[in-house]
Amino acid sequence: MTSGQAPRHHWPLRQVFPATALVLLLVCLASLMLGAGDLSPQAALQALFGQSSDEANFIVRELRLPRTLIGFLVGAMLGCAGALMQTLARNPLAEPGLLGVSAGSSFAVTLALMLGASAATLTVHVAQLGALAGCLLVLSAARIQGVGNDPVRLVLAGATLTGLLLSLIWLLLMFDQRSADEIRFWITGSVAGRSLDMALQLMPSLGLAFILTLIIIRPLASLALGERAAQGLGHHPGRIRFIAVVIVALLVGSATAVAGPIIFVGLVVPFIARALAGPDIRRTLWLCLTLGPIIVISADTLSRLLVAPAELPLGVLTALIGAPVLLMVVRSRRLPTL
Amino acid sequence: MNSFNRAIPTEHIHPAVELEARQLVAGHGDKVIIDGLDLNLPTGKITAIVGPNGCGKSTLLNSLARTLKPLGGSILLDGQDIHRLPGRDVARKLALLPQETSAPEGMSVEDLVRFGRQPHQSWLSQWSPDDQRAVKRAIKAADLTGMENRMLEELSGGQRQRAWIAMAVAQDTPSLLLDEPTSALDLGHQLEVFELIRHLSADHGKTIVMVVHDLLSACRFADHLVAMHDGRLITQGAPGQVLTPELVHQLYGVHCDILPDPVTGSPMLINMHRASKNPRQAPAKAPISGDNDE
Amino acid sequence: MDAARPLDQSQPLHRPPAGFWLWRSSGTSNGTSDGTRPGYSLLIPKRAVIINSLLILLLLIVVTLSLGSGSVSLSPAEVWQALWHQGPAINQLVVNELRLQRVLAGLTTGAAFALSGCLMQTLSRNRLATPGIIGIDNSATAFAVASVTGTGLSLAPSSMALAGAATACALAFGLTGASGRGGYRFIVAGIGIGAIAGAMTQFMLSRVAIDDANAAFPWTVGSLNARSPEATAALAACLPLALALSLRMTRALQLMQVSDAVSIGLGINLKQVRRNGLILSVLLTGLAVAVAGPVGLVALLGPEVARGLYRHKGVPLVASALCGALIMLAADLTGRLILAPLEIPVGIVTAVVGSPYLLWMLLNPSFKNTP
Repeated sequence: MTSGQAPRHHWPLRQVFPATALVLLLVCLASLMLGAGDLSPQAALQALFGQSSDEANFIVRELRLPRTLIGFLVGAMLGCAGALMQTLARNPLAEPGLLGVSAGSSFAVTLALMLGASAATLTVHVAQLGALAGCLLVLSAARIQGVGNDPVRLVLAGATLTGLLLSLIWLLLMFDQRSADEIRFWITGSVAGRSLDMALQLMPSLGLAFILTLIIIRPLASLALGERAAQGLGHHPGRIRFIAVVIVALLVGSATAVAGPIIFVGLVVPFIARALAGPDIRRTLWLCLTLGPIIVISADTLSRLLVAPAELPLGVLTALIGAPVLLMVVRSRRLPTL
Repeated sequence: MNSFNRAIPTEHIHPAVELEARQLVAGHGDKVIIDGLDLNLPTGKITAIVGPNGCGKSTLLNSLARTLKPLGGSILLDGQDIHRLPGRDVARKLALLPQETSAPEGMSVEDLVRFGRQPHQSWLSQWSPDDQRAVKRAIKAADLTGMENRMLEELSGGQRQRAWIAMAVAQDTPSLLLDEPTSALDLGHQLEVFELIRHLSADHGKTIVMVVHDLLSACRFADHLVAMHDGRLITQGAPGQVLTPELVHQLYGVHCDILPDPVTGSPMLINMHRASKNPRQAPAKAPISGDNDE
Repeated sequence: MDAARPLDQSQPLHRPPAGFWLWRSSGTSNGTSDGTRPGYSLLIPKRAVIINSLLILLLLIVVTLSLGSGSVSLSPAEVWQALWHQGPAINQLVVNELRLQRVLAGLTTGAAFALSGCLMQTLSRNRLATPGIIGIDNSATAFAVASVTGTGLSLAPSSMALAGAATACALAFGLTGASGRGGYRFIVAGIGIGAIAGAMTQFMLSRVAIDDANAAFPWTVGSLNARSPEATAALAACLPLALALSLRMTRALQLMQVSDAVSIGLGINLKQVRRNGLILSVLLTGLAVAVAGPVGLVALLGPEVARGLYRHKGVPLVASALCGALIMLAADLTGRLILAPLEIPVGIVTAVVGSPYLLWMLLNPSFKNTP
């Protein structure tokens, strides 16, 4: 989006949100009906309503349904985390994957696996801790004089941090061939083969994130006007920022624990949400709840179809979708301020 | 262009608030800029803080607005330490327009002004008819009626600054602090903003405190002048009485004569030249806009 | 970004610069402006001679160490004997057949990466604009992997990597336009391109059978293990040529460092210099990636160290190349020794060492992005 166009009109949320929710519903249905294997869409639909063979039931209910649900959760979490992070850093390019938050989370998971952890229960909290560390690191970097005003420098620092952490992960994996294979699959990002139990484990974190978001959403919106202006409105920027960081860590950590590091979703989703509904975080967050799942679920569906019967890693597909958006943001005549 | 004089439904009259600095020590980090300053601001009037670059006028304003925590002493709002009061209570008595404002792209005038209602909202009352009325009133006061849905980045500098002031007005506070409200504006837009400020003081009875870079504008639009130099208060009072050639020399190291403007009566500086004897350490600088001091 | 830098004040204009005249023939200039033939001279500043000699000495030491260490340890004397085809046959075999190739690959790729980085940094007047950061490495890798995994054309990795490098460069410039050159926008576009290329590499690796994927693994991190002799030969042939050509541009590059306007005023053909420099830079990166994969941080570190040695005066092309070779070899040696018998790919060593430095650069409040 370039500035200086004719007045842009954002759609009111009460029109956009139902529209995107409808699209999401269609995407979910498509994801349940389509996939590798010789199950016809009609049969899949029947299986969904419990009137089909055992095999079809198994494919749809045990394989595809959890996948769609997890895709939904991951998409919503990453989309919201991206929107929050962009508001926090006042930087349209801030993205948990790009800035090294996901990598921090992956690193923590790898470290935990290396140290002998194997239970899936551990990884969620470990991943959240790693995300928190990464997030604090990045945002304290964003507060350094000169770096914060320069959106791109922050992104570059994040990319470097990601590179460093990935190298360290490879280094760790050299010691342990056993975890290496496990992690190599996980690290490209995927929502396949995850059980619903995993989603249930996320629920407490998601509930906490939701409540915290409700508490800080209004002050956070005013932070977009600048620190002083937010203070003038009676808020405490430091406190708001810290809570928002915790939320981002909860969300990104959960998403990474389930699906591995999936980059660019947190960039693309808020970008589209802002284009549709304007910059106010109170509106964009709602849209992120629908747009995030739309992108992740449709990417996942595509990943099953494109190279069937094999599968494309989801992380690869989101990178292919996301990088052009990154280029688009950069191409606009000046970087939009946030 | 502006018609600030037409009748406007004024908001409910606030009990005036007292804002004062007591033995204020303020600065950034270890660097003390203001050391032991006492100041009482007249209620219901426009006060302008003037002084050369780096004299501490923005530091003073930010301390008054509680965006800068004092290193010593205190800022009292109605006799209570401003940092002891809940942020929201202060925000209902004191609105602030920061020096550098930036809003996200794609934000409309009304979106911005609505932010001003945040101190009056809570979990249970998200958006009330009161809020809607206050926003409308603020937009009208800033003469932005009809532009509510325009994007901020499409406005002229003066209009944008008026939109920001409208946000502070929507906050519905008895007092308003402005940090160099005209710093990046050209002459016409400067007048536009100053006239709005005067209107807010005259018709809405607000106590206004502003840091102004341009001495002459300060004299013309303010009721009360506070002159600072080197973190100290030099003098204060009505511009016509306080502004003397000696003061100008003390502040800026510039010799001049002062004449009243034949039309408005506000003081004018003529025959300005740099002091040749007894130069100040810092090079004197003619007041120009767009410059900021710490 | 266009702020002019003050000219180098350390060498007063009225005094000839300190240095060694290698060759100096006085022209026929006798005060009149027309009809004069300029004198020829080749001047090498004293500092450059000292620094470069020291670097070469260091390089020799590292080369010797590198040739001598491994499963069979050799003393420096034995290494040199073996190099001249003397001493025990087993030593000759180890040095000349097993290790020399690797050391040569490290030398040439390190030098090529660093030289390419120095050129690109100077041309875009941005210390961060190295081929690795703007995605050229990743694209070259993606193309090379395509040829290895058999999904692409049946071209040699070298030529494919070259094509990839050229594509990425064209994309980065095409997408940001002339206005973005040197700006951060250019770099973010590069990050995007790099991400796409990285994803493509992952994609291709995930599609092929596991054996091929293992063969392609070094490509994703950068390693001297996978070098092919042809690619090394191609690089070794091009490197001296590229060095000579870029040395020819030194004066123009130095002026461009100061300001575009000044260089135009002094009669430099900016467009031409920029185009040639960029072609050289892309060529070097592509050829080097074909040998060692994406070890892009060397392109950042080499020139950084060289500029530090030169105290940020001038454009240290030769010193950059030497530093790059040194860093590459040292990183490879470290990777081989530190966890022996396990071998850490050189790309990971440089990332672990170089990333913190880059982070420090980026997060330093007083960081200036002009080289």
